[in-house]
Amino acid sequence: MQQAVNAEMSTTNQKSRAIKELGARYGIHLALVALIVVSGIVSPAFLSGNNISNMLLQAAPLGIVVIGQAFVILVRGLDLSVASIMATAAVVATAFNGQPGDVIPIILIALGIGLCTGLINGLLVTKRDVSPFLATLATMIVLQGLRFAYTQGAPSGNVPHFFRIIGAETFYGLPYNVVILAILAVIFSVVLHKAAFGRQVYITGGNPKVAQLVGINADQVTIICYVISGGLAAIAGLVLSGFVGIVDNWVGRGFELDSIVAAVMGGIALSGGRGSILGGLVGAAILIVVFNAVLLFGMPVQFQIIIKGIVIVIAAAFYVKRGA
Amino acid sequence: MLTLTSISKSFPGVKALDQVDLDVRAGEIHGLLGENGAGKSTLTKTIAGVYQPDEGQIEFDGEIIHWTAPGDAKDAGIHVIYQEFVLFPHLSVAENIFLGNERRNGLGLIDYAQTRRDARELLQRLGVDIDPDQLVSELTVADQQMVEIAKAMVHKVKLLILDEPTAVISGHEVELLFKRLEALKADGVAIIYISHRLEEIFEICDRVTVLKDGQFVDSKKIDEIDRDQLIALMVGRDMSELFPIKEDDAPAGDVVLRAQNISVNGRVHNASIELRAGEITALAGMVGAGRTELAMGIFGGLPLKSGTVEIDGETYSQMNPALAIKMGIGLVTEDRKGQGLAMQLDVAANVTASDLGSVTQSGLINFTKEFKIAEQEIEEYQIACRGPRNPVATMSGGNQQKVIVARWARTCSKVLILDEPTRGVDVGAKTEIYRIMRELAAKGIAILMISSELPEVVGMSDRVVVMREGIVTGELSKEELSEEAIMQLATQQEAA
Amino acid sequence: MTELAYRSYNFFTKRQSGLLVVIGLLVLLLLFGAFISDRFSSASNILNVFEQSTGLALVSLGQTMAVLTAGIDLSVGSMISLLSVLLSGTIDGEAARVLPVCLGIMVLGAAIGSLNGLTVIWLKVHPLIVTLGMGALLQGVTLLYTLGPAGSVPFEFDFVAYGRVAGLPVGAVFTIVLFILVALFLRYVPFGRFIYAVGDDEAGARLMGLPRKRVLVFVYAFSGFCCALTAIYLVGRFGVGNVYTGQNYTLASITPVVVGGTLLTGGRGGVIGTLFGVYLISLLNNLLNFMDISTHYQLIIQGLIIILAVSVYVEKKRAV
Repeated sequence: MQQAVNAEMSTTNQKSRAIKELGARYGIHLALVALIVVSGIVSPAFLSGNNISNMLLQAAPLGIVVIGQAFVILVRGLDLSVASIMATAAVVATAFNGQPGDVIPIILIALGIGLCTGLINGLLVTKRDVSPFLATLATMIVLQGLRFAYTQGAPSGNVPHFFRIIGAETFYGLPYNVVILAILAVIFSVVLHKAAFGRQVYITGGNPKVAQLVGINADQVTIICYVISGGLAAIAGLVLSGFVGIVDNWVGRGFELDSIVAAVMGGIALSGGRGSILGGLVGAAILIVVFNAVLLFGMPVQFQIIIKGIVIVIAAAFYVKRGA
Repeated sequence: MLTLTSISKSFPGVKALDQVDLDVRAGEIHGLLGENGAGKSTLTKTIAGVYQPDEGQIEFDGEIIHWTAPGDAKDAGIHVIYQEFVLFPHLSVAENIFLGNERRNGLGLIDYAQTRRDARELLQRLGVDIDPDQLVSELTVADQQMVEIAKAMVHKVKLLILDEPTAVISGHEVELLFKRLEALKADGVAIIYISHRLEEIFEICDRVTVLKDGQFVDSKKIDEIDRDQLIALMVGRDMSELFPIKEDDAPAGDVVLRAQNISVNGRVHNASIELRAGEITALAGMVGAGRTELAMGIFGGLPLKSGTVEIDGETYSQMNPALAIKMGIGLVTEDRKGQGLAMQLDVAANVTASDLGSVTQSGLINFTKEFKIAEQEIEEYQIACRGPRNPVATMSGGNQQKVIVARWARTCSKVLILDEPTRGVDVGAKTEIYRIMRELAAKGIAILMISSELPEVVGMSDRVVVMREGIVTGELSKEELSEEAIMQLATQQEAA
Repeated sequence: MTELAYRSYNFFTKRQSGLLVVIGLLVLLLLFGAFISDRFSSASNILNVFEQSTGLALVSLGQTMAVLTAGIDLSVGSMISLLSVLLSGTIDGEAARVLPVCLGIMVLGAAIGSLNGLTVIWLKVHPLIVTLGMGALLQGVTLLYTLGPAGSVPFEFDFVAYGRVAGLPVGAVFTIVLFILVALFLRYVPFGRFIYAVGDDEAGARLMGLPRKRVLVFVYAFSGFCCALTAIYLVGRFGVGNVYTGQNYTLASITPVVVGGTLLTGGRGGVIGTLFGVYLISLLNNLLNFMDISTHYQLIIQGLIIILAVSVYVEKKRAV
């Protein structure tokens, strides 16, 4: 008798738990859909091809950074150096004064800087046991100093036309930078969700002790995550330099925090081991849609930041309640 | 002093306490007994005000009380010494003792001279020599326990609850602890003493209450009951039924793993052990005797300070988990949550974690294959879950443990080490785990079982190695095996 | 005497191991500076550096308290900006309003800070996220209020930043006194000990019945209060509050805390270390100026100092 009661109790429990899990997993997707529908009803201009194309253009650089941030957060880290890497990559883009032949060296140098910064971040976090916040804060500042020293405070020169195309132009309404984002998203989703390495990322982030005992080289996995983040930030910086056209020392400013906000909103837990790339991208999309809707609704632009601040806390609280 | 009437407390999915009664008098030491999961910890926390009971009534010191926070119970004179001490490692001994009850001067500021003096006096009264200025992080575990008791004395404690106090200290220190408890009892303090160790209960307690599955079983004076009756109350069944009988008495096979003169980080000194194919060897001893560290050293989870591990004809002076796995060793850790499972991942991912290569093709995971493997293991070990994609966080302790066993049983071809494999799992899962161990042994795998439960050691093993304070103190064959013989080796004092 | 020696040995080696390091570095820096340039080690230059580091010192004081509880306050930059524009905007040149408005700003800073603490408690969200969100929110509010400098303050208001009494800069003296008071508070008032206890082991503090929630609300409220003081100083210095006044302080306030030996994991360190950290960084930048090293390289050096500091203070990993 008692057992029957217990069994019944546990099935209803399982049911409600399953519903909660679904809520935690797809709540953010539903929120995005709801946001789009409501925005479209309130302001028909929102769903115009032009506006959508615009939003996508803005979303792409952020999305690229979020993918990298996702890897780092999954292994219980945080990457504050991404914006600094982006700005440095953008400065590199102007280094050769816009000659078409320089595109390849620019990409290689920018990528090299991003990957090296990621490597240093990873080494500091794993081998020197520095907290990710401070390690990436320090590399952010150092990189900023190097950039300033190089540009002497005022970058000059032009972005090669190639980056203008991939950063700002569209192909029948589809921005090239979104194509880049999509390719990267697919590649890294496969890496994270289908490859053995991705599984190692989840185990390392979920429980580093377990990772050690099942023979995973947790330090190596962590370092690779930071390297991925650094590399993607460099790509995002090049794309963004093409989007804005002119380069100053602050291209990408705010992306470090926005990318963390997007990742957390998308359900990537700061405690590690939980979340997906798609979730992070949905988080990024929500940010962009909110920004856009604020303007379309005729609200003062300042509401973008205010709403961002409120949304991040609410989203984090939502996952605390559901995920625990 | 304390009377609980029909206390019930539920957590989502579990009824942790069900109509429990308890009555503890001033000046007595009251033993609280029960298997893991019987509800002792929940009861303790309910008395301490950490949990509020769903039903029932708590009467303390003549008043019916409704505590809403741990501070209330503390103010009323109840002090709990949890298994995990509540000490702040970066504060000094004196600061810890008076935390929340600071010695103040006329201005209401902390008077450190007074604090130090009073702390010294309290510690002297306890008969221990601890410098009040030391940081708690620098003390031995036994000294930390004394600081906990000193904390209780600051509050003019009326009821002291100790949760498994002897789990972390050894022979001589236990005697000292008992002396302090007797002294407190003589002062009229009521003491609730929670322990697994029946010897201690008979030595120190005046009365004993037994809990089982969250329910009150019985309360007895200690001289009205003997050991066997007490065990019967706790488990409610004959223990021997639990252990599957070994089918055939085949002699043990060859030595498959030989660890020699192993030393690990001050916790293990020159320990040697041999494991034979098809044999279940138990590693017995008190908690803290260095058993876990020895196992970790063999598996490569902790660095070896000295010594060698010989397996499959190769000798290594340093192991690492990847190598151990490759050589066919598996390790089921003691701490499921901390070291065993990635809780957010599903059953399948946890099962294949130690052998990702087997489900990986050109870098990508073959999810169909992984699913099938997990399905098989769920079937084989009767793991209760919604399938291979069920996150392990939502499963019961026993089923989580089976997931870990399944993981290692899959990859260990020679040796499986299980550290306290049945701790915190229900009786059903226990029998299941015993059965699995027997089956693996029958397949020729050498099994090393670390266990603090003597009946389990006696019931399951073919051979027992006993450790005390980091040293292997002896080995018992099947014929010599008895709980008394193990206790002798586990607690013996060094020859003077 | 030996007792005292023993105790101070204990204090420096175990409690505040960072303090010795940072003081040692400071001495080395001063010696090196004296060697490089006479003007650097002159009293007037040192006093100037102390005077100019008042803003950083005040905001880092509040930050230290948050970090001691294993938290962090990332809203300080936006908070300083908001409070500074409100300050000069509301005073708007009227001398009579100075005192009430300054008091009001302090209360407001503490109130916003408490909101941080309460949100951490209510929503159980990590302080990093809560204060990040609060920072964005405050920034938005600031920009709604004004898009540039707001209002003005009477000319005499620069006393808070440039005033000298008996040749000593008032701001710096006030700062040092405040740091000492807070250090004494942390050591001699029971509540100060609770701050360490909560940072050391939050679950344990709860079991002990320590007022964990009050501690959290207090430290974030205090951090907000410190932001108000910083805003008052900065408005005095620049003559007006601007929307970007506080922008760099969010991350800058963390460096002295860490350099001063307070661990981000909480429960260890103290405010005096932070004060020395502030002076170390300010004097270093000052010296680099004397050496004609551009601000660009100063950034690089600052980053390297963080790495060096945290590498020195990292606690040994615990065995399994």
